[in-house]
Amino acid sequence: MKATVPHMGNIHVAVKALFDGLGVEYIIPPQNNDEALNIGTKHSPEEICFPFKIMIGNYIQAIEKGADTVILTGSCGPCRFGEYCELQMNLMKSLGYNLNFIVLDMPKDIGIKELFKRLVAIGAASTKSRYEKLKAAKQAILIMHLLDETEALTHYLAGYERNKGQCKRLLKECKSKAMKCTAPGEMLSLIKEYKRKIEYIPVDINRNPLKIAIIGEIYTVIEPYSNFYIEDKLMDYGVSSKRGMTPSWWLKNMALSPLKINSLNIKKASREYLPMEIGGHARECIGEAMLSFKEGFDGAIQIFPMGCMPEIVSKSILPSISKDYDFPIMSLVVDDMTGEAGYITRVEAFLDLLERRRDNVLYGS
Amino acid sequence: MRVGIPKGLMYCKYHPFLVTFFSELGAEIIVSEDTNKNILDAGVKYCVDDACLPVKVFHGHVDSIKDKCDVLVIPRIMQLWKNEYICPKFCGLPEMVINSIDKLPLTITEPIYATSKKKLYAWAKTSGKFLSKNNYQIKRAFIYALNAQENYETGIDDSGYEINAALIGHPYNIYDSYLNMNLINKMNSLGMGVKTAEFTGEDILYREAENLYKRPFWTFVRENYGFAVSAARGKTADGIIYVSSFNCGTDSVIIELIKNTVPGFPLLILKIDEHTGEAGIDTRLEAFRDMLERRAFNESDSPAHGQHTCCSKGTL
Repeated sequence: MKATVPHMGNIHVAVKALFDGLGVEYIIPPQNNDEALNIGTKHSPEEICFPFKIMIGNYIQAIEKGADTVILTGSCGPCRFGEYCELQMNLMKSLGYNLNFIVLDMPKDIGIKELFKRLVAIGAASTKSRYEKLKAAKQAILIMHLLDETEALTHYLAGYERNKGQCKRLLKECKSKAMKCTAPGEMLSLIKEYKRKIEYIPVDINRNPLKIAIIGEIYTVIEPYSNFYIEDKLMDYGVSSKRGMTPSWWLKNMALSPLKINSLNIKKASREYLPMEIGGHARECIGEAMLSFKEGFDGAIQIFPMGCMPEIVSKSILPSISKDYDFPIMSLVVDDMTGEAGYITRVEAFLDLLERRRDNVLYGS
Repeated sequence: MRVGIPKGLMYCKYHPFLVTFFSELGAEIIVSEDTNKNILDAGVKYCVDDACLPVKVFHGHVDSIKDKCDVLVIPRIMQLWKNEYICPKFCGLPEMVINSIDKLPLTITEPIYATSKKKLYAWAKTSGKFLSKNNYQIKRAFIYALNAQENYETGIDDSGYEINAALIGHPYNIYDSYLNMNLINKMNSLGMGVKTAEFTGEDILYREAENLYKRPFWTFVRENYGFAVSAARGKTADGIIYVSSFNCGTDSVIIELIKNTVPGFPLLILKIDEHTGEAGIDTRLEAFRDMLERRAFNESDSPAHGQHTCCSKGTL
């Protein structure tokens, strides 16, 4: 078995650590690129959402390198993501690829036994002992957490750094070095080291940078290719940014959701505007908009793929929050046809607007 | 008290329940007009631009009656069957409307779980509180409403046509003759019989949907996919006409599933949005009809390419 997983932000780093620890053969697809998107767009249904298309590109590029098994998570919420597995299986079969899918679905939907069976199918490819397997899983989760923390820290400190570009450089270095590690333990200590380095970069505490929250659909906010590397760009502009959606958050949220004690702060914050779960991450989007307002952020940017059903609901609610709390929120819709120039212009204009608000510059009055 | 019920989305299927329930509680029912140009324009004006056409039209219906009523019913249909949703936009419909349209009257936005009578009654109890304090009266109205709904049947099952097409889509696209530009009449006048999903038994729909790898979590996957596949396999229809609104999330999946399961079966997908030109729809329908006719009478399943084909009988 040569396993592969579609890209989503930094999860490939944790996945690499996991498979290294398990001793399972794996292929990490090439970083998301235009060609992957072109392949995906060519074969995917026309109206399906953006993540589906780029994932198909990932699979095909991974198959070219020798992968034969895809590991995919599922959901059974009303959002389209839950149907991905079925459509992708059919699509890959009709394209003539003999690809094995292991779908890790919610136990509520397929039963805990079936989920266990599927997990065992992954574990069976490993020759390690049970203790080592569990250790690998634990280390992978730790790596994901650490990496998410490091990233969040970098995005935050980018507004305060004295040596411009240092944060971005360190983060990039950290990620590329992590991919060269051969053992999870080694990777863990490397990321820890970089986290410490980033914690001690020289900062100017007297600066008061713009602070922006990135909210919206989970794939498009986490995967930098799909949002045109917006967080890197914000770091270049010297803007502090925060994003609540991370793979480690998702994992924790999924694990706690059967007990209904997941993301309590978000649930509380969103109660005023969206009192119930409607699928996808619409509620989290609203909750995070409210939280970032309360934390004193200057504005929020919502990003979602075209046609995303839950985010359309949150998009129609966000203007009310914006109006009621005098909190600027911009919605950006991305898909395979988005032009980068227009997109960047809007982000820049939004930043200018936030800066002017702060200085109380009233244009034309 | 005047209760306003917008004639959008699932109204076409569940209006006997809503109307009977509120009128039994002594309310004067204000229903918006059939969809027309003004309603569509208002909907496009107020609704968020990424939404699909039926949701936009629903906004238009709300706008047209919001000043005429004291309480507005915005049904938040969460589940009609156990573990099956309709669409995230249905779950968040009240929020979409309330945040998009100003100066709304009071709204009834209780979530509707129609998975059992007990759960539906929970909706009735909280919604009925707006009109009556009397629990007995609410219960009576609820029972009347359920009876009215049970006695009401939708669905079209034409007979006597040589060519029959399965008309598939969300009910609010099929039964709103303004949005789909009188599709059913057009099909009939072209000599095509119309068959809709309502006359296929639930057991058949379930059986077809169970063959899928993943248990569907949308009601319309089971209904539309199940009906399409059973019509194609059981030869009850010669072709499928799928009416879908542009950017519909569930349809993008359902259509793919149908194409995968019954490849080669004639399938016409009519996309409708607020700009749809009628001439284009007519042309496509006529062409589809001709194709079905040729398939049925001249060529059976062999491809038309490179063969001599005679004109169809009588019509050309």
